[in-house]
Amino acid sequence: MNTNSNLYTVIYTTVIVVVVAAVLAFVSQSLKSKQDANEKAETISQMLTAGGFGTKAEFQAMGNAKVLETYGNEIESAFTVNAEGAQVATLDLAAKEVFSPKQLKAQNYKVKAGEGYAIPVFIFKNGITVVPVYGAGLWGPVWGYIAFEADGKTIHGAYFDHESETAGLGAKIKDDPAFQAEFVGEQAYFGQSPVFSIIKGGAPKEDGKSVADNQIDAITGATMTSNGLDAAINAWLGAYAGYFGTVKTVEE
Amino acid sequence: MKLKETILDPIFKSNPITVLVLGICSSLAVTVTLKGALVMAISVMIVCGISSLILSTMRNTIPGRVRIIVQLVVVAMMVILVDQILKSFEATYPIDKQLSVYISLIITNCIVMGRIEAFALGNKPIPSLLDGLANGAGYGMILLIVAFFRELLGSGTLFGLQVMPAGYVTNNLVILPPFALILLGCIVWVQRSIQKDLQEK
Repeated sequence: MNTNSNLYTVIYTTVIVVVVAAVLAFVSQSLKSKQDANEKAETISQMLTAGGFGTKAEFQAMGNAKVLETYGNEIESAFTVNAEGAQVATLDLAAKEVFSPKQLKAQNYKVKAGEGYAIPVFIFKNGITVVPVYGAGLWGPVWGYIAFEADGKTIHGAYFDHESETAGLGAKIKDDPAFQAEFVGEQAYFGQSPVFSIIKGGAPKEDGKSVADNQIDAITGATMTSNGLDAAINAWLGAYAGYFGTVKTVEE
Repeated sequence: MKLKETILDPIFKSNPITVLVLGICSSLAVTVTLKGALVMAISVMIVCGISSLILSTMRNTIPGRVRIIVQLVVVAMMVILVDQILKSFEATYPIDKQLSVYISLIITNCIVMGRIEAFALGNKPIPSLLDGLANGAGYGMILLIVAFFRELLGSGTLFGLQVMPAGYVTNNLVILPPFALILLGCIVWVQRSIQKDLQEK
């Protein structure tokens, strides 16, 4: 047979592409539930790490099922809020519904526009509130979770993740516990601009104490990642100002 | 060529990285930790081996003019399959997350297409499978050697376990890709001084 004729070539490539597409579609469909489960457990373990319920390594060691169980035991309520801080919808607690980075990305456009968003709030039984942040790092998206004390402004803990920041430099937002520990005890100045600052060269200090409660040191050698994270935190915490504003007025 | 040579040559005598100088890019990118390097090595072995097997089986039916495109489609399929499978298991999910785009970028690894073009299209399926696997293994071996030094000096750990004494200050240069290139240079140097026939006059 002449394998160089036009007809043969066209038919051959068509068949190959269809077969490959079918194989990939089948595999993708059959593995999707497992992949989603992994991503969900990862998201939940990041939120729990931010909330101070354990370290990331501990959650990784305990496996997906245990992570979901811990979340189920600790969570009080979860819902989405809009710009005014009003509740839009509740998240299904029994199904352990959370926001994946993809869902955060979808909301990020609206958060940047400043309107029309519905972003999640997770309140745990011990009074800690966890909210996500999302933005652009140097090479790809960065996101994370910030946990607030019951007063709605003091930061209890934070955990950040990224897609492709430089290992050893920008990746420290995820890998360096010292960076995440900097957030603990700081405050977010809701209703002000900036809400929170990550400052290159170090936050200004007087007599060894920080001048402001909402400033921390950036990561050496990772200015672009630090700036990106700073922008992400400001955009998202700014978007939560409505929600935390109402919490505060209720308490006062 | 004998089967034994097909398997052993790519490991040392004609190693894809140090002798053919293919796959340099990914060997700089994924060698920060041993775990990452190991998963990458196994992934490349599987992609290279199975793609060679499939294409060698089809070799007499492939139209010459679209040869490269057919190879690309098959290799791309294998890469996506490996990526999807890594994402599906609890044990490999964090490593896949860490390797991020580099798993997908296996398709641009010259070793895979190079071996298919040079070997699989002209040989029977079983030798092609072995050639693919052996080249993947040769690539993986260099990856592991580089990753060993980079993780040890850059993070003070091996496979994530602390081995350096507590006071060890991690070396940031080692973490960055340029150091991997320097290490690769050293490995090529060692190999050329052992294997004299590689030295140019």
